[in-house]
Amino acid sequence: MELSNKSSKVKMIASGIIPFAFLVIMIAYIFGPGSDLLDLGIPLPEITMEKVDFVDSEIQVTVRNTGPMPVEVAMADINDRIQPAAVEPDRYLDRYETALVRIPFEWNEAEPYIIGITVEDGTRFEKEIEAAAPALEPTLELAVFFAIIGTYVGIIPVMIGLLWLPFIKKIKKSKYHFFLALTAGLLLFLGIDSIEEAIQVSDESLADSFNGTLLIATITILSFLGLHYTGEKLIKKSETSRLTKPVAIALMIAIGIGLHNFGEGLAIGAAVGLGSIAFSTFLIVGFALHNTTEGIAIASPMSREKTVIWKLAAMGMIAGAPAIFGAWVGGFVYSPFSSVIFLSIGAGAIFQVIMTILKWIRVEGDKNLSSAAVVSGFAIGMLIMYATSILV
Amino acid sequence: MVASRSGIMMVLIVAMVAISAIFFVFPEGINAQKEEKTFVTHSGGVVKTTGEILDPLYTSATVEFDPMEFLRDFNYGRVTQLSDGTTVREFTIIANDDEIMEVSPGIFYNVWTFNGTVPGPTIRATEGDIVRVKFINNGEKEHTIHFHGIHPAGMDGVFEPVGGNGGQFVYEFESGPVGVHPYHCHVMPLEEHIVHGLYGVFIVDPKEERPPADEMVMVLNGLDTDFDTENNFYAANTIPFYYQHHPIQINTDELIRVYVVNMVEFDPINNFHLHGNLYKYYPTGTDIVPSFYTDMITLSQTERGIMEFEYEYPGKYLFHAHKVEFSEKGWVGIFMVHENKNAVESEGYGT
Ligand SMILES: [Cu+2]
Repeated sequence: MELSNKSSKVKMIASGIIPFAFLVIMIAYIFGPGSDLLDLGIPLPEITMEKVDFVDSEIQVTVRNTGPMPVEVAMADINDRIQPAAVEPDRYLDRYETALVRIPFEWNEAEPYIIGITVEDGTRFEKEIEAAAPALEPTLELAVFFAIIGTYVGIIPVMIGLLWLPFIKKIKKSKYHFFLALTAGLLLFLGIDSIEEAIQVSDESLADSFNGTLLIATITILSFLGLHYTGEKLIKKSETSRLTKPVAIALMIAIGIGLHNFGEGLAIGAAVGLGSIAFSTFLIVGFALHNTTEGIAIASPMSREKTVIWKLAAMGMIAGAPAIFGAWVGGFVYSPFSSVIFLSIGAGAIFQVIMTILKWIRVEGDKNLSSAAVVSGFAIGMLIMYATSILV
Repeated sequence: MVASRSGIMMVLIVAMVAISAIFFVFPEGINAQKEEKTFVTHSGGVVKTTGEILDPLYTSATVEFDPMEFLRDFNYGRVTQLSDGTTVREFTIIANDDEIMEVSPGIFYNVWTFNGTVPGPTIRATEGDIVRVKFINNGEKEHTIHFHGIHPAGMDGVFEPVGGNGGQFVYEFESGPVGVHPYHCHVMPLEEHIVHGLYGVFIVDPKEERPPADEMVMVLNGLDTDFDTENNFYAANTIPFYYQHHPIQINTDELIRVYVVNMVEFDPINNFHLHGNLYKYYPTGTDIVPSFYTDMITLSQTERGIMEFEYEYPGKYLFHAHKVEFSEKGWVGIFMVHENKNAVESEGYGT
């Protein structure tokens, strides 16, 4: 008996290992040295110019080797005219390695430039800068400026949105559901908007080898799952603590929106840093308008609560203040990679918030989410956002 | 408060992702201090760097093809005489299409060559000589040699493609007319064969020799190293900026004769501007009387001519395309004019 028990254990282990061994052999066969099965053509060098800084009498370009093989940076040009330059630390770039190309050049403010880098096989890569602007130095003055912009974009609009609270408080259950669904609609639009923004940044400044769209999908889903897990815990705890369910949900919404606003701050900071003044103004106005609706999103669940003003203010800060941090990061340490990451995290957070709201509506009574109030609320939420996006 | 603890957790996670992202983006922030070098820019600015210098202008690189040697290298062929006294000049030209050449410091390009160089050899005959060119194609593709000039139909190098891997053909014709002519491969797609470098210069001297001079040949060409049908480099004799950091040494009061051939593709025109001087210009070199006295000529594809000038004052003189884009991408050079010790009379300025 004991023997057969032992042998069945061995069998079990073997049955676990054997397929694994086959897997290893197969992978070795496909990717291993001497294998030409995957020789699917000629690898081409590829570099990405991730960042261009205009400093005193010099243009500095951060290049990254984003191709499948090592490259050598051979030459730099400005507007297709060859310029002597320096490359630090050296011209040899392994996969994903970066170098700083310093091109001495008396550039003129607000003029467009095309920066070209040629690698050893003669391939030239270029990046267009719409308007040259001096690289931002992290001065206290500028930090304060970003903080003020972040306040205008993040905190104040959210607070204004929260002012709808007394109104939402007075309405009946079905209308209340309408407002919750409206919130979900607003947020869904915002989530899609974040993803679109992330895809745009990745298309413009991130190399193909990062698989931008898949990176965005992965980070979005990971942040969704992470927040979903944490959020559920939070709501569960709310049953045994002083924290009530509506407050817990509102807090989740505030955190999700905060992450999203961080992304918005990032976009504004980067736009200022890259010198696109018109674009940054557009972003500031657009985000400020959008974010008023974010206040409504927080107000809706809170309306079933005895509201304490400081709680509300804290929610507003959690949702709005990250715009300030975003502007700092975007303006001072911008990189397209981190920008894509933050926007994706924001999108995941928003989708998680939508799910929380929908669950809340179901708990409140509308099991199928099919009442006229919910459906129309959702639709109108999307429409409002679409309309404001056209207006600004 | 439990809620805020979870909230703080979330903020921490996000912060960690953010910090790792920033490290991923700026990995070289941890580099050790290295030795500093300096280099001087066009405008005289001094730049200090711990890295490497990328400079097609000031770095003297060892080039496989030496434009200085090509400049004054004229190939007269193996000379024999027919029974009626006619001179026969025999040349061998071998085509290849697999060589990789460093065309500018650090930049490697697949050149297609006649006798291993771009441009191919400058061959030279006197009007009326029999020119016999034994052509061997060691490339992988079909190639030919199409000579500009006057010759029978079967010698035109258009309808007689020569197969690769050792294919042969003998071009034979009476040289003429007098002047400077290009020769090039004429296999379709034609542009591809020309821009890869299959061209050279064929000079037909008049029976009554031109006056003695310091003669040179300049083929104005361009290189499209990334195959987007736009030139990445321009040059006189292939290597960008070469004659700028290796100036051409000439003497005052000595006749300089430059055979100029424009082989630039993709761009409709090229031009040649000389500093501190004017030259007599003989379009195509077919006439003995110059057509222009100028410091600027404009050349379309395969337009060519002979320039003659003398410098009175010693010093450094630029010559370049006045289509500035071309000169800033390599088609620029310097004549370093020295006081002519042998000159019988040289008068200084104001004397
Ligand atoms: Cu050919």
